[in-house]
Amino acid sequence: MRIRKILPLLSLSILILTLSLAFTSGALGYYFPLPGVRMLASWYLYTTLNPQFPEFSAMSPEAVTAIVWDYRGLDTLFETAVFFLAIVGALALMRGISLKSVVENNTATVEVEGNGLSPIVKTASRPLTPLIIAVSASIALHGHLTPGGGFQGGSAAAVAPLLLLVIFSVYFLVKRGISEKPMLVLRTVGLLGIYVTAFLAVIAGLVLGVNAYVFQNQPKFDAPVGVPAYVFNTLLSGTLFLFNLFEYLAVAGGFTLVFILLSIPEEIARSVLGGEEYE
Amino acid sequence: MSDLNTFLFNVFLFSIIINTGLSLYGVFVRPSLIKKVIALTIFSDSANVLAIAVGYRGWPSPDKPPVPPVVTVSEPTPSELLRFLDVAVDPLPQALVLTAIVIGLAVTLFLVFLTLQIYRLYGTTDMRKVARLKG
Repeated sequence: MRIRKILPLLSLSILILTLSLAFTSGALGYYFPLPGVRMLASWYLYTTLNPQFPEFSAMSPEAVTAIVWDYRGLDTLFETAVFFLAIVGALALMRGISLKSVVENNTATVEVEGNGLSPIVKTASRPLTPLIIAVSASIALHGHLTPGGGFQGGSAAAVAPLLLLVIFSVYFLVKRGISEKPMLVLRTVGLLGIYVTAFLAVIAGLVLGVNAYVFQNQPKFDAPVGVPAYVFNTLLSGTLFLFNLFEYLAVAGGFTLVFILLSIPEEIARSVLGGEEYE
Repeated sequence: MSDLNTFLFNVFLFSIIINTGLSLYGVFVRPSLIKKVIALTIFSDSANVLAIAVGYRGWPSPDKPPVPPVVTVSEPTPSELLRFLDVAVDPLPQALVLTAIVIGLAVTLFLVFLTLQIYRLYGTTDMRKVARLKG
């Protein structure tokens, strides 16, 4: 019995000591912080937007989003698939549990106005919610130029329904149409948009009969199709903009869905789950 | 001054390593499923901070004030790109951490739902009791 207590401590101490030894003997380089960037990073930084070498350049204005979409697009696609599967798993665990019956039977309507926190918090959060949505949209739609992007914007947007959920109640959201079904639709539309965006250049290339790549962002020197860099004098930088937009929708919808599912009252969940056992 | 910086960065790295060890202890040893999930998020966050630290670089000339590493024209010349290369940080760890955060958040959400369901079905989140239950 004692060895079962000592063994985890021993192995974790060995892990800590080994990692410390590795770092002090130069696993991350002998100078820390490093005076420069590594060769691979300088290659990425030099060729991300370089009109002198059009055959190597990704022609994307921001290096991180270029890696996310141009260099490692498959990573992003499967990451979106993991996100999709995790929410599908959560939905499958919560199947049959819904707020619909409660809202339709009018049992909760009386309590909607009385539920939640104090009027001070409610009044303060009313103007705050549109501001959160606006800031999140700005994060997402400037994602191709500045730090941020679809996922960060979507997470920030999902804070607004979470705030309403805590301050008012879940019935407040459901009565205003922000319930499970519309969020599921929003998330599915976003995911479909991402998959279509991934193949947009290939589809256009097939129609026009020219060369094109999957995940192609801007026109390259041997693949002349793609969303133009400037539309109405606004820098859109190719399909990255569409990717950020759809990722924003998918992430915001998915997280709102999960928050609503997590806030379903325990009695409703138990009545669906247990059947007669809990009654 | 640079010695002090190196020392502080080593303290920072060592604290991340300790954090990793502690969170792994939480995942392995603590019996509560909720605490396992919390320790797992701490573990993934420490790994992400470590990855960001790998991509970090010092400002090349400490005497001059730092400028943001951005290219401000849409058709940069090679000299402008080389100047950008002198100040920019490694973009690859940032992109990988971006992916890792999304996946970590999705997995955490799934685990939270799983724990909630186990609690609803068995009335406990203690791993020792859940393992002993049947059906």
